[in-house]
Amino acid sequence: MKRKCLISLMLLAAVSMAACGKAEKETDTGAESSDGGVKEFTAFFAVPGSEINDDNEIQQKIAEITGAKCKETWLTGQTAEEAVGTLIAGGEYPDMIDGGDGMAQLYDAGALVALDDYIDQYPNIKEFFTEEEWDKIRQEDGHIYWIPQFSNIYGEEKATTHNDEAFWIQTRVLEWADYPDIQTMDEYFDLIERYNEANPTMEDGTANIPYTILCDDWRYFCLENAPQFLDGYPNDGSVIVDPIELKIIDYNTTPTAKKYFGKLNEEFKKGIVDPESFTQTYDEYIAKLSTGRVLGMIDQWWDFAYSVNDALKQQGLGEQGCNYVPLPITIERGIKNQWHNSGSVLNVATGLAITTSCDDVEGALQFVNDLLSQEVLDLRSWGVKGVDYEVDEDGKYYRTQEMRAQAADTAYKASHMCGYSYFPGYTGTSRDGINAMSPQFQPEEFYDGLPDDVKACFDAYGAETYVDMLGTSEAPGPWYPMYSFSSSMTTSTPGGLAWTKMGEIKHEYLPKVVMASDFEAAWDEYMSVYEKCNPQDFLEEMQAELDRRMEEAKKYQ
Amino acid sequence: MEKLHKRKKTSVGDTIFVICNTLFMILFVLITLYPILNTVAISLNDGTDALRGGIYLWPRKFTWKNYLTVLQKDNLLTGAYISVARTVVGTLLALIANAILAFIVSRKRFLFKKQLSLFWVITMYVNGGMIPTFLLYKNLGMTNSFWVYVIPGMFSAFNMLVIRTYMNGLPESLEESAQLDGAGYTTIFWKITSPLCKPVYATVALFVAVGQWNSWFDAMLYNRMSQHLTTLQYELMKLLSSVTNQGNSAEAMKNAAGAVTPTSVRAAATVLTMLPIICLYPFLQRYFVAGLTIGGVKE
Amino acid sequence: MAAIEKRKKEKVTEMKVKITLKEVKRQKALLIWSAFIVLYGVIFCYLPLGGWLMAFQDYRPKDGLLHSQFVGLAKFQQLFSDATFIRVIRNTLAMGVLNLVTTFVMAILFAILLNDVKSQGGKKVVQTISYLPHFLSWIIVTGILHDALSGTGIVNELLLKFGILDQPLNFFAHPKFFWPIVAFANVWKETGWNAIIYLSAITSIDPSLYEAANIDGAGRWQRIRYITLPGIRPTIMILLLMNVGNVLNAGFEIQYLLGNGLVQSVAQTIDIYVLKWGISQNDFAIGTAAGIFKSFVSIVLVVIANEIAKRTGDERLF
Repeated sequence: MKRKCLISLMLLAAVSMAACGKAEKETDTGAESSDGGVKEFTAFFAVPGSEINDDNEIQQKIAEITGAKCKETWLTGQTAEEAVGTLIAGGEYPDMIDGGDGMAQLYDAGALVALDDYIDQYPNIKEFFTEEEWDKIRQEDGHIYWIPQFSNIYGEEKATTHNDEAFWIQTRVLEWADYPDIQTMDEYFDLIERYNEANPTMEDGTANIPYTILCDDWRYFCLENAPQFLDGYPNDGSVIVDPIELKIIDYNTTPTAKKYFGKLNEEFKKGIVDPESFTQTYDEYIAKLSTGRVLGMIDQWWDFAYSVNDALKQQGLGEQGCNYVPLPITIERGIKNQWHNSGSVLNVATGLAITTSCDDVEGALQFVNDLLSQEVLDLRSWGVKGVDYEVDEDGKYYRTQEMRAQAADTAYKASHMCGYSYFPGYTGTSRDGINAMSPQFQPEEFYDGLPDDVKACFDAYGAETYVDMLGTSEAPGPWYPMYSFSSSMTTSTPGGLAWTKMGEIKHEYLPKVVMASDFEAAWDEYMSVYEKCNPQDFLEEMQAELDRRMEEAKKYQ
Repeated sequence: MEKLHKRKKTSVGDTIFVICNTLFMILFVLITLYPILNTVAISLNDGTDALRGGIYLWPRKFTWKNYLTVLQKDNLLTGAYISVARTVVGTLLALIANAILAFIVSRKRFLFKKQLSLFWVITMYVNGGMIPTFLLYKNLGMTNSFWVYVIPGMFSAFNMLVIRTYMNGLPESLEESAQLDGAGYTTIFWKITSPLCKPVYATVALFVAVGQWNSWFDAMLYNRMSQHLTTLQYELMKLLSSVTNQGNSAEAMKNAAGAVTPTSVRAAATVLTMLPIICLYPFLQRYFVAGLTIGGVKE
Repeated sequence: MAAIEKRKKEKVTEMKVKITLKEVKRQKALLIWSAFIVLYGVIFCYLPLGGWLMAFQDYRPKDGLLHSQFVGLAKFQQLFSDATFIRVIRNTLAMGVLNLVTTFVMAILFAILLNDVKSQGGKKVVQTISYLPHFLSWIIVTGILHDALSGTGIVNELLLKFGILDQPLNFFAHPKFFWPIVAFANVWKETGWNAIIYLSAITSIDPSLYEAANIDGAGRWQRIRYITLPGIRPTIMILLLMNVGNVLNAGFEIQYLLGNGLVQSVAQTIDIYVLKWGISQNDFAIGTAAGIFKSFVSIVLVVIANEIAKRTGDERLF
């Protein structure tokens, strides 16, 4: 007994000393020059993301070019607000930060460095936005604190996939009907009904699911926000903006909304809408789509395609025509659809910021600036020449099949690729004028990667890309997108309170409305409960923001 | 004893009991084993293929890839080292601390028995919240240090109460006779009470060890910036959250998309973290089973 | 049976010891240790309670605890004037009580029955398997549950086969099934793990009691009823008392993962409410206020339960 005790005590001492000894070598959070004179920055992004290895190859290459590197950490197991809240309480920040939903808190806490005075010294950063755009991201105090990183188009836009929301349909349905012209919701459901009657099962006998609706948590946009698109408006997210009158319209109560949910109710009764729609989890939904059983649904491309397309390909279901293409659906013919808009979307709510804990603001901005040089942009999104992509005699970048496979490998990404994805970056055309900024927008790359059934479908409609299936609309007015405002609302204002309540009510009542045996009664009940949330408060605050944005925009006309 | 038992006729009720009990155990094992086997099957199945669902007890498309993905994670070795260290140190500290505390409050004569118990019972139900706790540890200089893993959770009312209950059940006569022999409380604790408490010590050690082994939130909250103090579970959580499609934007999804899926990687990570605990358990089980042999009916 | 009677008698004897210098000297070791332990407790468990100030403030991280504006009881008023919060308390209580009862009964039942398994090998194997689900995360368990209860899942298949249903039932669309499903999931995941404590408590039962019972010709049921159950009664009581205080901690993850719009009126717990209305709205104060409310209710419940235990002469928390 004694000996055992002694041994365990010694073990305890040994382990704790080892751990303690290590603990003393604390890493400094500030920028520091390690061997080779490479500056090391730290960054925290309040979104989930993949950490890359410390000895990452491309990170090393970028460090050789820029003289700096950045250790990125991501959100794990907390909400962005919680993570940011603890950072602020502790008063210590990483050098750079994107606080996600907690961005306003950081600004409020005075944790961010105003960038206005610096921007002019860094040409690549300066060039990143126009004066008007820079002004849009100024905060109330008139300063710029963060740089929105995404959807910034350089040169000519290279639109290939439609990354956003649409009514999707499997190519086999279109092929069976000889690629008809489908433009309205009624036509869409009619086609699905007819197809399903003629072909109730897949080739192996599995029953089709004609139409399913994802309704899991925040992903219930697949059910709720279609009315704005059906009326031919773009994705302002929370409201419709009348572009002529410049008035806010609530899409939840329009006649189109009632028609849309009425149609879903009708289809639900017919057994076309999957009865498990409102109880399925996201995982189950993806599993359903992956079996190829689902003929159609509304969703955003990024929400399903990355995983589902791979699964369909692996099982050879493309040959059965199980891949999805978008259709330009509106409530009735003659309305110009705006499922797809061209142009950049400036989400002013978040971006990359430099914190007051950063000892070397110039160095950090220099790093951000250098990350926007073409050489580094190519490294970030294409990889290393000869390893991740090849160049043909015309200067066109292309990838072999092996390169594509390796680029999708998680372990390879961690050890080799370094996207610095939450630093400012571009889509669109490379500064060489030939290539796309990143592989997924390179037309040849894109077309080579398409499954055969999708190619056939595109050919039949005279389309070359997903976007061609829908047609493109001009970028909406300067207010766009209104969701950048509603997503930053909190319950501290009446409008924000109403907005949160409306979400709760819609989440509960919309499924009931669709499943109701008496649609009219259910709709009336929903509307009366909805009114109790005081949506007017919300709409008024949105209108005020719209007016403010239009006022700002006038300065540049 | 043996003869006595044989002479007694086994009653009908007894037989029925044995049959029912055996059936119950079999049923119980089946339903509890299912989620485990299902997890193992998914962990050995191709991730994209597993998306289709329909995998129950056997992988459909066998692969080691999920395990490789987990094992190739950077910093896994550092994490494993720290995890083992915190489990060993944390368990020993907590065991000693709670045993002493339980010993004190289980002394019948102790003056503040009731007050000290209440003092700890309250701590089970109150909690200052994440931010004040963070500030406290920071001011104590415990952030970015190993000690934040083992010191804050050292005493716990739950473990104390479990040990105390056991100690209360021990015959008082032992303590009394030792005191007559002139033994102090320290001697009684080490020489008399503790050896008798092995089963409950084993139980509490198991609880604490499992808690230590599985926890990752402290590593993230307090030691995010100190990579050499990362733990295995935190590294796995980071891996999982990066492959989990929880980001509600196109950027986050692009960032996360890969050849493996959350479900399959999660399954592999679960199996990997379960393994050490499964290996540890038989050693602890010795104590229960030893007890059970004494306590149970001898054949 | 005499032995059992004796045991019962010696169980609870209140001892009043007066504070005298002699007694203090006698207990020097105990008192010094307690002083250190209390110091630790004050620092690590009671000091952070300063954070409760937040509930009475319009807390802004920028200003911290000391400089945020005080708003008195406004946050509590906000909570209790919200009909949703009242409903959420009901849900939490209902699930808390249901979980408490089911997991408790199952763990004790399992421990006792396992103790009566004759084959030692079988016992070891069953026990090892039984606690494994504890290590599965809720997301895995709820995933399996969703599969099993889906329209084409095993449960519907069986119900259809035995003619109990004529068409598949969507369990997750009906509020009435939600609480039982949550309770079942808890039982499924934790029974084996919770039984560990009882199994270790059973080891403390004096073997001679069983022998005596055997000689008296007691059957299995009688042995369980008169020896095993009374033997682990103190443990049962202590755990019961502790968990009574936890009924408001009915959980977050499982309800979050299993819930959906259709059942949200019965699925939302206090913790989910706090996340939705507090943290994700940058309102940390609401979360703290809800936390204080939970603590208050817990302590009241525990004190009441402890008082009852005192009356019945059972093991108590304090």
